[in-house]
Amino acid sequence: MSEVTTVATGWGLSFVVVATYALWVVGRGKTIGRELGIGGREKLEPESDSSKPADS
Amino acid sequence: MTQVPDSRHMTATTATRVLGTVALVAVVLMGLLGLVVSPADVVQGQAVRMLYLHVPSIWIAYGAFVLTSFSSALFLFRSRHRHDGGRHHDRLAGSAAEVGVVFAGVTLVTGMLWGRVTWGTYWQWDARLTTTVLLFVTYLGYLALRRLPADPVIRGRRAAVMALISFVNVPIVHFSVDWWRTLHQKASLSVGRRPEITGEMYWTLLYSTLAVTIVASWLIVHRYRVIRLEELRDEEALEALIASRLREDEAQA
Repeated sequence: MSEVTTVATGWGLSFVVVATYALWVVGRGKTIGRELGIGGREKLEPESDSSKPADS
Repeated sequence: MTQVPDSRHMTATTATRVLGTVALVAVVLMGLLGLVVSPADVVQGQAVRMLYLHVPSIWIAYGAFVLTSFSSALFLFRSRHRHDGGRHHDRLAGSAAEVGVVFAGVTLVTGMLWGRVTWGTYWQWDARLTTTVLLFVTYLGYLALRRLPADPVIRGRRAAVMALISFVNVPIVHFSVDWWRTLHQKASLSVGRRPEITGEMYWTLLYSTLAVTIVASWLIVHRYRVIRLEELRDEEALEALIASRLREDEAQA
């Protein structure tokens, strides 16, 4: 294996390992958060939103 | 008004988004410095570019394992003084250990590839390599112990003891190149010792360490929050199970 191939393999593998782990962590957080209903944002119901007076 | 789950807010905050963006930019710059800007070595040629990944990775692993041990000691000896029973320290220990294992793995992979070019072999059972793989395996064992089903406090105590025992190997790994004759070169940078490298290589190595530290910090923060979510899910599942059993008992009565 040439020096350039070694460096490319080493950097590439390291990037893949760390990126895969980061994506797994974020993905797991999202999955469990969804199960728990955490991270909710308040959303107005469409009908109540449209029926509201502008100054309310 | 209704609550709808928004997946963007599960473990991220404005601060971690900023940290994540900084980490991405830092890694891109690290790649530019390490692969393009810094010069090839007179002896090792292009292979020296492995230095900018290999050395920061093991430093981060050491740092993460220090954090794991420190948090584990606090969990064991100071948990009664905290309102959460020390769970914060347990979570921090777990998240730091996992990130440390990832970077210890990166160290082993980059080291093996680098060794193939410079030593002519991927692996040699010498002191530095053997103690490093032992470090990796013991912390994998620590992570496995954390996943065993048990009462969270008891599991946390067992894991904390294992973390403190595992940490004994960290200084052995670091000083193995001084204590024994090994194939591995001595430390490129050491406190109180003249650096083995200078100029652009020196600064690129320092910068790479900073960049990898930012990435590791981002990972630890997110993993910590995911562990908290896992605990909440387990607590919720346990409460649902107890409620279900109570309903069954009431129905039978």
